[in-house]
Amino acid sequence: MTRRRVPVAAAAVCVALGVFLAVVLLGSGGRTQTARPASAPLTPLATYSLRAPHVLSTDRIYSLQGLVSGAPVTPAPELPPTPVSAFARPIALYRAYAVGQLGAMERQIARLEGALAANDRVAARAAWRSAYARYLRLGAVYLAGEVATLNQQIDGTASGLTGGVASPQFSGLHRIELGLWTEAPPRALLGWARRLDVDVRELRGALPRVSITPLEYATRAHEILEDAVRDLLSGADVPWSGEGVLATEAGVRATEEVISTLRPVIGGAERVIPAVDTELVALRSAIASIAAAHGGRLPPNGQLTQRQSVLLNGTLGGALEALSQVPGVLETEAPPQIPQIPPRDVRIDP
Amino acid sequence: MSPLDRRGFLTRSAALLGAGGVGGIGGLARASAQAQGAASATAPSAAQEWNVSQAQLEAREPFDGPHQAGILTPAPAQATFAALDSIAPDRGTLREALQALSRRARELTVGGPIPLLEVDAPPVDSGVLGPVNAPDALTVTIAFGASLFDGRYGLGAQRPRELVTMPTFAIDDLDPAQSHGDMLLQICAHERDTVTHTLRELLRTVRGSLQLRWMIDGFSGAARGPSPHNSPRNLFAFRDGTANPPTSDPALMDQLVWAGRGEPAWAVGGTYQVARIIRMHVEFWDRVGMSEQENMIGRVRASGAPLGGTDEFEDPRYDLDPEGKRIPLTAHIRTANPRTPATADQRILRRGFNYTRGFDPAGALDQGLMFVAFNQSPTRQFATVQKRLLAEPMIDYITPVGGGYFFVPPGARGEADWVGSGLFVAT
Repeated sequence: MTRRRVPVAAAAVCVALGVFLAVVLLGSGGRTQTARPASAPLTPLATYSLRAPHVLSTDRIYSLQGLVSGAPVTPAPELPPTPVSAFARPIALYRAYAVGQLGAMERQIARLEGALAANDRVAARAAWRSAYARYLRLGAVYLAGEVATLNQQIDGTASGLTGGVASPQFSGLHRIELGLWTEAPPRALLGWARRLDVDVRELRGALPRVSITPLEYATRAHEILEDAVRDLLSGADVPWSGEGVLATEAGVRATEEVISTLRPVIGGAERVIPAVDTELVALRSAIASIAAAHGGRLPPNGQLTQRQSVLLNGTLGGALEALSQVPGVLETEAPPQIPQIPPRDVRIDP
Repeated sequence: MSPLDRRGFLTRSAALLGAGGVGGIGGLARASAQAQGAASATAPSAAQEWNVSQAQLEAREPFDGPHQAGILTPAPAQATFAALDSIAPDRGTLREALQALSRRARELTVGGPIPLLEVDAPPVDSGVLGPVNAPDALTVTIAFGASLFDGRYGLGAQRPRELVTMPTFAIDDLDPAQSHGDMLLQICAHERDTVTHTLRELLRTVRGSLQLRWMIDGFSGAARGPSPHNSPRNLFAFRDGTANPPTSDPALMDQLVWAGRGEPAWAVGGTYQVARIIRMHVEFWDRVGMSEQENMIGRVRASGAPLGGTDEFEDPRYDLDPEGKRIPLTAHIRTANPRTPATADQRILRRGFNYTRGFDPAGALDQGLMFVAFNQSPTRQFATVQKRLLAEPMIDYITPVGGGYFFVPPGARGEADWVGSGLFVAT
């Protein structure tokens, strides 16, 4: 599925509280005791505390103690907003990277077309895997707006289409996936591959003009792998090939690229970068161990052992918790104050 | 009365009684003794120590009435939704199954001691709730899907005007194995064991005629205040149901809920039930900033008040915020119910339940909302709202994976009647 989160342009998508929490949690520093001693008095009902929602690789424990019901809370000071100009270079670098991925994808599609023409299912599946993984390395590019249709044609799934896989709108990588992992003769898929070829070239031409805002770019730091959980390892987007691990690995690469370009912008803020690095290393190591156990090849979802599945899901979750702190340290403006609803008898007409 | 129904538990019991034998009489005596034992166990002093409120267990919601129960009835804590397909070979068998279903459902909503008829026969009730079935405010709401009106039973001409197979909306990823169906049973009660027992008994009653197609269990968030009126929370932690039209207003229910004009005569007083299993990607949601969450919904998470307000039931005053500076134009509450004169007749009565059912292959919790809406016209109401919601940013955090469109017939008129009887009077 290729739904991408629509950025909420108004209203500071990026999170007053995220920053606040991060500041409170990390600012308080050190390890927080995660369990209340049995003899300790109960927390008064008017307050609550959440402790240790996530432990980051034993390096640091996040903890939140907050008050609700209007009890006084002293918000931590906001970080100064990041100037929009600071994103120019990271986004330009990523755009160049993405264009390069599409170029590599075109070469894989040519391989795919050759294999399909030769009616060679094994070679065609291998080429499809390479092409698909390349496409998912685009990662941080919001393929919305003018290129939304192209994205649907290239990577759209049958869900949401009236008629499902029989819909004339169902095309591209997943249409070919359906044929390659079912009984269709590979040669019959050649038309779809040629159309894919055309669409990818068109997208590569359009990519330099596709808008990537700082807000979107910062948000994609965690959304690429959110998509992997929701759509890829769940199997939702790869119902026939089951190649969710391969696709997730592509998402990890895209995420690493985003983080690498943002590293100088984030700097030392909130200690986000060390946490992200630690978690991404653990995730990459998990993926490597899985590949090693499967003869150097990333297995389909269904071939993961339970232990491998737990390891991959767990390290991915850990990476996501760390990555979800990124947008909060990259706000480009202070969150706006929400105006109060005036009492009924007050007219505020101009 | 109906012919003998081999599937109906009550009829089966009656047949056993009619057979008369020694077992029958002895069994009755035993049932009576069991009932007395159970009655003495409900002495108030003992009850005070129980976790379960006896008053709550003894609450009854009448099965019969102009409209079925479980529509305007306030949602209790527990629910199960079970879609069934008919495998009845003919119209007469389907009719018998429906009669038996209502009969058994009515009996369970009344409650009472379980008769023990023959010690060497399987017990007539699973007995999961003990020797006496407490009603526990049980409601069983029986609804029909469009497929029941295909050619099999000659019901095509009586299909409710707007009853169709639920369309696939653009955000849907419908799994055929948990979508649609000939019938939908909505079973609600305060306690989980009551609901579980009811499903088991009802399925037994119609075994061989109506078979499970998909099912899901639901629960309501507990009433955690601050006032008894506050709406419970869904699994995105926001209050759900705040803007429901008041069920205490019969004229409004006639405008928004009950089907009438243009419907076949048997369907008047029924309602369309939209049931959608909406997976909520809760881990993803939890990694989104608080203000973004609140902007997506349009409400303050803690209080449930519209943004800029302090009270859950406060008017969001969109008239003072035409540009969405306070509540974004794409916020869920604003998109779902813009509160304009033009959208007033699009309002729906929601009666959803949270669900949780393990986790998926990606290790993500399989949780969400069993969305239920009752409305007079799914075209004018539910589908119109749903299409508008395709523009809201929240769609990235949810995936509708199943459910269907159903029609809830009017209620049975008494013990001699049954839900759906109107379908069979013409012939």
